[in-house]
Amino acid sequence: MDEHIEFLKSGPLSLVKRWGAKWSLWPVHLVTACCGVELAHAYACGYDGERLGSLNYGICRQTNLIIVEGAITRKMAKVLRITWEQMPDPKFVIVMGACGLNGGLFWNGYHMVKPSDVVPVDYFIPGCPPTPEALLRGIRALQDKIMTGETNSTAKFSKADLSSIIEIPEEIKQKRVPTPPHSIAKAPVIQIDGQREIEWDEGANLIQTLKKDLEGLYISIEMTDLNRICLKTTPEKTPEIAERLKFTFDHVKSVNVVDVPNENKFIIEYVVSSYGVKDLMPVLLSIITEIPRDNPRHPSLAKHWPSADYMEREMHEFFGVWFEDNPWMGRNFLLSPDTPEYPLRKDFKLPRETYVLRGDSR
Amino acid sequence: MVTIFGLTISEIMNIMVKEGVSIPLIQPLIDFLLKIPIIQYVVALILWKPVFAVLILPGLGGLMISLLFIIWFERKLTARIQWRMGPLEVSRPIAGLMQPMADGMRYLFQEVIVHRGAHKPYFVQLPILAFIPILLPIVFIPAGSIYGINSPYSLIITVALLALIPVTIIAIGWASNSKFAYIGSVREAFMYFAYEIPFMIMVLGMIIIYGTADMATIVEKQGIWGAFLNPFAFLGILITTAMATSRLPFEIAEADQEIAFGPFVEYSGILFGLVMTLAYEKMYIMGLIVSVLFLGGGGGPAIPLLGDLSPAIWLFIKALAVMMVMAFLRSIYPRYRLDQALRIGWNSLISLSLLSLVVAVIVRFMGGV
Ligand code: SF4
Repeated sequence: MDEHIEFLKSGPLSLVKRWGAKWSLWPVHLVTACCGVELAHAYACGYDGERLGSLNYGICRQTNLIIVEGAITRKMAKVLRITWEQMPDPKFVIVMGACGLNGGLFWNGYHMVKPSDVVPVDYFIPGCPPTPEALLRGIRALQDKIMTGETNSTAKFSKADLSSIIEIPEEIKQKRVPTPPHSIAKAPVIQIDGQREIEWDEGANLIQTLKKDLEGLYISIEMTDLNRICLKTTPEKTPEIAERLKFTFDHVKSVNVVDVPNENKFIIEYVVSSYGVKDLMPVLLSIITEIPRDNPRHPSLAKHWPSADYMEREMHEFFGVWFEDNPWMGRNFLLSPDTPEYPLRKDFKLPRETYVLRGDSR
Repeated sequence: MVTIFGLTISEIMNIMVKEGVSIPLIQPLIDFLLKIPIIQYVVALILWKPVFAVLILPGLGGLMISLLFIIWFERKLTARIQWRMGPLEVSRPIAGLMQPMADGMRYLFQEVIVHRGAHKPYFVQLPILAFIPILLPIVFIPAGSIYGINSPYSLIITVALLALIPVTIIAIGWASNSKFAYIGSVREAFMYFAYEIPFMIMVLGMIIIYGTADMATIVEKQGIWGAFLNPFAFLGILITTAMATSRLPFEIAEADQEIAFGPFVEYSGILFGLVMTLAYEKMYIMGLIVSVLFLGGGGGPAIPLLGDLSPAIWLFIKALAVMMVMAFLRSIYPRYRLDQALRIGWNSLISLSLLSLVVAVIVRFMGGV
């Protein structure tokens, strides 16, 4: 029995206290993931959670219930804890969704945290996402817990002995749990400039112009598909290319990094396009370079194309590529500061989590 | 012989019984209670008209009942408009009427957090201080023959006391020392000037029509309801009531989706219960004033069985009706931006109030009431 229930059960006014808390469970808005949609559903017309006296409220100071809606990332975990700390006692926590239970879809992800490690949880509601009925049932269960002080599972499973019906082969019995991939294929073929014969006259002209403009700066310029052009070069030449191209191709659409560990290299790709020149609008030009994996440095193009800045920072925290001259290198941008380093590298490994299936399912 | 202000206890008893509220329905019970030694003093005191006015109707008792009712009514109405049931399960037979009680009980037993940044003495005492300007006007509002103080200036005093409430709310925001509370207080201050000036002008217009600021006389003079004598002032005062009690089209200081209840953001537990009900209490007082000025006050078909209580009940019902209109506004309107609300206050409302002043002067010169 936790301290909040204990407080409610103590004293001569215990019944009034419990009655008040039971019929006034106000969840604070803390929508963390897609399960929030079901919460909205449970409180809109049709299911109407307000019937039970539970009212969604915006501010943690005046509420007494957190419904954790699904996945909690490392960054969100702090928010969850802060919100929980700000709420006045007695307070309760319900976690909904498979993600909140044990990771769900994102099981064993580098960014996942279990809510039960962050705050004391009263009830879990399984499902992906749980139905609104299930959520209201969770609230009902919490009301019962407040009245009786005991946590009871609302679902009862009877144990069935399946082995007598079907014979389970010995090797399947051993690996019941799917394992995450933990080895790297020896030589994956990674080709990003596969040349194709396309009927695209403007493209051919454009390639001619590019070749003339960028004399000596490229390794090859190929047409890879309709409206797709691939320019191969070396890292130190990219700033000069950007300088010459930035008035026609005026923005970066995306910056990508491909990790090729067996060849010990990263492939860096800047996809640039144009908003200003009408004919170039549908054209995507990929500028591709390769850098060594053990010293991943690449000149930053954010000076020439400001829209590259955010994407370079993102690639930096995912792959550890150091974009020289970008002032934000060395710190995390979207990921929480305590995320393990470089989660998207192919050799990144987390301590493996395992599900333990217990015999007694109650 | 014990004397108080030179009067013996039996003389005081005599005064209290003579000026007591007479209710024929329960007269035998009162007569019986007045014969029991100690209890007779308590009963006589409660039934003494000034005390009755403050404690039961239209005073504290009416305030509490209207609070519990209007919060339930507001939630239920909003729910019905959104095709929901609203609070129900807490007490099925009476359609969830106990819901505000349950919320109140929860607030009462929840931890009260006083955060580090707050100005502690003010933070704790202001919600309680805010009750003074709310409860004092009740003394002056007459319900038939039941009133606390009869004064020729009662309307003016009531309006002046009402104007103090936003000051306490601004002080609450200041004592909270949080940025949302600060924004909320500033908004409250802006809104305060936008509605208070038209409100004062319109009340002045009504004083001109009736020729007096004594609410008891105003009620007596209303052969025709004030709402028909001066419909512009009626409309204007309804709008200012919505502004003053932050109902939805003008719920700008407490906009919970934008600034998280503004001045009240840091309050928790019973202190939040107190500050949250401030607006509703103010709405009750404004409802009483609107019914006295425009809806004939305690006038209405007298119920002989209730005796002196009948006008009080009529007044209470009229005030509740005004509150219900305000609750209805809340569930059907979206919120104005601050600048839009200020434009309404300083353009339309001021014009409306000046128009109502002109109408008042015309009515006065055509013979008045
Ligand atoms: S349990 Fe399913 S619906 Fe809920 S947050 Fe996870 S993925 Fe989304």
